[in-house]
Amino acid sequence: MSTALLLAIGGLTAVGLYLLTGRSLSRIVLGYSLLGHATVVALITAGGPAGWPPIAGQAAPEDMSNPLPQALTLTAIVISFGLTLFLLALARRQRTLSGDDLVEDDLEDRRIAAVESGPTEPEDPAAT
Amino acid sequence: MIFGLLVLHVAVCAVLACAGRRLGRSSLLVGAVPPALSALWGTARLGDGSAATADLTWVSGLDLAMTFRVDAFAGIMTLIVSGIGVLVFVYAFGYFGPGAARTGRFATTLLAFSTSMLGLVWADSVWTLFVFWELTSVTSFLLVGHKSTDTEVLVAARRALMVTAGGGLVLLAGLLLVTGAAGTTLISELAPVDGTAATVGAVLVMIAAATKSAQVPFHPWLPGAMVAPTPVSAYLHAATMVKAGVVLVAVAGPALSGIGAWKGCGLAFGAVSVLWGALGALRHRDAKLILAWGTISQLGMLITLFSVGTPTAVLAAVSLLVAHALFKGALFLIVGEIDVRAGTRHIDELGGLARSMPVTFAAATLAGLSMAGAPPLFGFVAKETAIKAALELDGPEAWIVGLGVIGGSVLTVAYTARFLVAVFGPGPETPLSARRHALSAPPAVLAVGGLAAFAALGPLDAVLGPAAVRLSGGAQVEHLHRWPGLEPALAVSAVVLVVGAIVGLAMGGRPGQAPADHAARWTDAAIDGTVALGRATVARVQHGSLPVYLVTMAAVATLAATPFLADISLDHLVGWHTPLQGVLAATVVGAAAALCFIGTRLGAGLALGAAGITVAALFVIHGAPDLALTQLLVEAAIVVGFVLAFGHLSRSFPMAGLRWRTVRIAVAGLGGAAVVIGLGAASGNPVGAPPLAELAAASVDEGGGSNIVNVILTDIRGLDTLGEVLVLATVALGVQALARAGAGREGSAS
Repeated sequence: MSTALLLAIGGLTAVGLYLLTGRSLSRIVLGYSLLGHATVVALITAGGPAGWPPIAGQAAPEDMSNPLPQALTLTAIVISFGLTLFLLALARRQRTLSGDDLVEDDLEDRRIAAVESGPTEPEDPAAT
Repeated sequence: MIFGLLVLHVAVCAVLACAGRRLGRSSLLVGAVPPALSALWGTARLGDGSAATADLTWVSGLDLAMTFRVDAFAGIMTLIVSGIGVLVFVYAFGYFGPGAARTGRFATTLLAFSTSMLGLVWADSVWTLFVFWELTSVTSFLLVGHKSTDTEVLVAARRALMVTAGGGLVLLAGLLLVTGAAGTTLISELAPVDGTAATVGAVLVMIAAATKSAQVPFHPWLPGAMVAPTPVSAYLHAATMVKAGVVLVAVAGPALSGIGAWKGCGLAFGAVSVLWGALGALRHRDAKLILAWGTISQLGMLITLFSVGTPTAVLAAVSLLVAHALFKGALFLIVGEIDVRAGTRHIDELGGLARSMPVTFAAATLAGLSMAGAPPLFGFVAKETAIKAALELDGPEAWIVGLGVIGGSVLTVAYTARFLVAVFGPGPETPLSARRHALSAPPAVLAVGGLAAFAALGPLDAVLGPAAVRLSGGAQVEHLHRWPGLEPALAVSAVVLVVGAIVGLAMGGRPGQAPADHAARWTDAAIDGTVALGRATVARVQHGSLPVYLVTMAAVATLAATPFLADISLDHLVGWHTPLQGVLAATVVGAAAALCFIGTRLGAGLALGAAGITVAALFVIHGAPDLALTQLLVEAAIVVGFVLAFGHLSRSFPMAGLRWRTVRIAVAGLGGAAVVIGLGAASGNPVGAPPLAELAAASVDEGGGSNIVNVILTDIRGLDTLGEVLVLATVALGVQALARAGAGREGSAS
């Protein structure tokens, strides 16, 4: 396994995670995209060393790179592309609605957290 | 037959759930049909020496199966559960009166409980037992909370649920340990076990039994549950559900009685509850609470006797189990009748009932005498056998059991005498409403049952004997005697009756205050504490901030990689496959790192494109031209999309606080390291060379193409690729919808 690729995967993951945990939706999209890159590179790295393109007749089979992870990776690229586009559309809509692209806290969760500090409401066993 | 009866119960339950509203009060009579059939089946089987079995395997490898086995003991329990069930359904018909609300719902829940209880006593697999055990807790909760508009009722129902459901969790842990040690999940196949795990498991099972059977210190839920309608109190909290713990101790006894801690725990719970329960029954002034505290005491006696586990003790316990179901069921129903007709059940407000309710008084006297253990009633036989069992023991056990059984018997006689005198004794006559036969007949049947059992002791002994043999692990068991002859136990009995009667009659008419129930307050405080802890935990972990959720998840996932640290081998690592790979790897990390520092969105989009194109170049030198082409196309589209979505927000990115940014950087760094560690460890375990030659040949011969990756995508897994196309199409629809919705809003706003 190539150390260079291994470190590239680690670096992409780290930067991706850092961006993903920000509050700006555009950075979250960037982070998501980088994590996608890390994953596809990890897939083909796990599949074996570099080689000739796996095209029958162009190279001896033993010199080829492993085609199976490549087929899987192709799917991964396409699906992560679809999800990234969807995220972008969501972010654009958020911007249209609120004027910026910041991820707000979930109000429902906030409310649940606030109940704890407020007066306790007894649960209603009869509601069952 | 077993499954047939269970299915019938469930089916009638479903019918009542749907049609209960329309049937109203008569749904109680419909609900009595399945228990009646079960009781008939149980009666028909009484002489049968063999056990009826039924099972339905779910996951055979995990021993997950619905397994039922109706042996001699389960047969007796069937009669108690279903026989008393029928009487309680009939009684409830009278109890609720024509205009009562929600009787359909009540009948449904009561039948659901009856079904769960049958399943519990029939269960042979411990997991079947566990499921029905929990179902009885839930149905009990619903029945206790039947009058759900009252705060006191709600608190009581919650207490009953929390204590018994908490006990259920303890039971699950205990059963896991015990079955693990025993190597079987079938109760009938449990052999004596020992060892640390089995000991811990046995103690947990005993604790679970103590919660269900309301043993001190878990008892406060039972007096609290008296807020339920009386049919529920009589059925669940006297005759059946509270016996579930006793049944568990009984059936697990043969396997666990060799464990010292099991016996010690059982004796401690039992002896303390016998005395404390009886003292409570002597002090309370609500007739129903007197009976409830008496039940705690009687259950303590049952737990004590089953924990001792000697053949005589087990025989006494089985007899007492039957006797208790008869007399306590009858007494509860009688108190319910008084409550309905007199409008109160407080002993200070009742008077002259012996004259105004003669039939009820006769039934109460019969049941009371049986409870006190006086001849000629079945309670006498049970009590006599219990005293004999206590006198047979020696060592410290003899003292504890002796104190529990004999001391408990004295107190039982005392509170029985006090109960009868206080409820039926002289006093200003209480005005009564009209008599209802459905209310007075069932308790009379149960009370006479105690007399009949004494009269027909021979046949009854033939039924109880085999059950006792089964529960004492196959030991020789004596016969029950109507008249034991002049022996020490009889003398003790006589003393018990005389002393108890003097104490009870002396206390009977005395005015006083009901004791404050501190234990109930502590239990509620513990439950409130648990709820508050739950709330605080939710508030802490579910605070609504997406970044914090993500950081937490990443941190946890990172921890999962730690075990792989040991597996890292550097043998399979090379620096790079070609120097260019090293350069490109450095470039992609550099472009990614730049994303963290670039302040404008346009610049960020360009850096993202650079990273993507570098990844494409990495694909090229790896020998994956298809990937590279796809990556280039995708990347171009994403950069365009990014600029379209964000490009004109020229404001730079908002900055977070320094401390939070440090946490993010730390977690991100650790996350990256975790991935490197995981992949590095995986590279130490290569799965072997891929079958490249076969793939290449098959690609040409069968797929009709020389590009192997393409053949895999379009031929070997063509259906997956079709799905992928569908995903893309769906995304396109979603993106378009989102974009249009946003545009419309924008347009109308401007």
